[in-house]
Amino acid sequence: MNKIFNSIDLIPEIQWVIAIILMILVIATTLFWIWGMIKPSKLVDEMQIRTRSWWIMCSIFVFASVVDPVITYLALGFLSFLTLREIYSLLSLRETDRSVLFFCYLSIPIQYFLAFKGYYTLFLIFIPVFMFIIIPFLLVLTGETKDIIRTMCILPTSLMLGVFGISHLALLINFPEMNSNGVSGKALLLFLIFITEANDIMQFVWGKIFGKHKILPKVSPNKTWEGFIGGVISTAIIGYFMGFLTPLNSWQLILLSGSIAIFGFMGDAIMSAVKRDFGVKDMSNAIPGHGGILDRVDSLSTTASPFFHMIYFIILSA
Amino acid sequence: MKKIILIIIYSVFWRNFLKIFIGLSYINNKSLKNKKQFILIANHNSHMDTMAIMSAIPSKYIHKVHPIAAVDFFGGSTVKKFLMRYLVNATLIKRDRNDPNNDPIDSMDKMVKKSRSLILYPEGSRGTAGVMTNFKKGLAYLIQRNQDVNVIPVYLENIYKTLPKGKKLILPYNCSIRFGDPIKFESYELEDILTTSEKALKKLII
Repeated sequence: MNKIFNSIDLIPEIQWVIAIILMILVIATTLFWIWGMIKPSKLVDEMQIRTRSWWIMCSIFVFASVVDPVITYLALGFLSFLTLREIYSLLSLRETDRSVLFFCYLSIPIQYFLAFKGYYTLFLIFIPVFMFIIIPFLLVLTGETKDIIRTMCILPTSLMLGVFGISHLALLINFPEMNSNGVSGKALLLFLIFITEANDIMQFVWGKIFGKHKILPKVSPNKTWEGFIGGVISTAIIGYFMGFLTPLNSWQLILLSGSIAIFGFMGDAIMSAVKRDFGVKDMSNAIPGHGGILDRVDSLSTTASPFFHMIYFIILSA
Repeated sequence: MKKIILIIIYSVFWRNFLKIFIGLSYINNKSLKNKKQFILIANHNSHMDTMAIMSAIPSKYIHKVHPIAAVDFFGGSTVKKFLMRYLVNATLIKRDRNDPNNDPIDSMDKMVKKSRSLILYPEGSRGTAGVMTNFKKGLAYLIQRNQDVNVIPVYLENIYKTLPKGKKLILPYNCSIRFGDPIKFESYELEDILTTSEKALKKLII
């Protein structure tokens, strides 16, 4: 136990964020509690369940991000595993695909090992290049060509979303350039997750309050122009004030947070379309009030890699 | 000793393995908690079914719960028999009732009279994936003779996808095991027992 906590060297910035998260949760919990006492409704009940799930997710996340990096890696790898499992359980794949699924799951430990070791190039190309070729070939080896193109498309895409995207969170933690000259990978990780989740919440709140004009009427009736624009603007503002976690200057912060908001929206929309295609509302019921794991991490899986590469570009060119 | 082995295997290993790795969710398995004796009837598609049910049983009396298995399939060699007896806690019975001295219904009945609980797959064997077939009569004979024992339907959803028939590789797949309430039989006629229990199990499908 001592060994796990020994490595905690919480820089003041991270302590601040944890305090802010705690404060938001306490405020939200009391707010919804009072609201529920005064005027009980279905929406409040749902919000209370959602907040309760946020407590659990935040505590897991804060715990995983302050302890030894190895545990953070394991936790993120497990998150990838849960995401893949959810995708494969929902999309009815052929029975002959089973043996190939094993290799998809196997790519998780490999990808996270590459992230842990900091083999940057190999990390970048392992899934988009190697697995992109190997997985379809393994499918060919099973000999069943009926409907093979469907599986050939689904498997690499699921790896890109569930493993490649999320593993960028892990890469942030001990990537050399991200942990020198006053930059802290853990702080950047916190910044990214905070911004992404704040964006989700902000789009939801703005949409609920002012939402009128549907942005994707056929895909997701909950997404409105008001929610989208309000979300992007408020995320940019939040990003600006959370800037103490990053080495960026003001306009970089605003641009970066704004684009993270847009990428998050895209991830959300992509998963909405997938869910619509399969006629389900949520991927599963793993997280009460939120749906499945993927319903929560859909935006993270599309924001993590753009965020990493934008930050990397800025740091390199600085 | 046997109890400790079973607790380690099922309540510790399989329960956590199934929950964390496979993605099995236990629904309403608390209903078993204060029942001393029961007959569980479940749909059967995979060898994982028995593991899932055994892992859901409260560890307090796991040693008194016996899955019923066919001797011609599982009793092939002495080693297999030994493993089935000590690691699965299974009772091996014959499929046919030709030999009056060795009637499978009698041996199951004896177990129930010794206040043991049974896990039965009334469909007979692992059927086609995801399709439920008609129940065999053996279940009805057993219930006729033991009318005061709780018969609890258990529906195993998608568990066969983690280990389909004829496959060796166990893969994760979100699945669930759903326990129903004890079946109330209105009449103990052979046919009625079968239709009532079939209906009770089918009611658990959502």
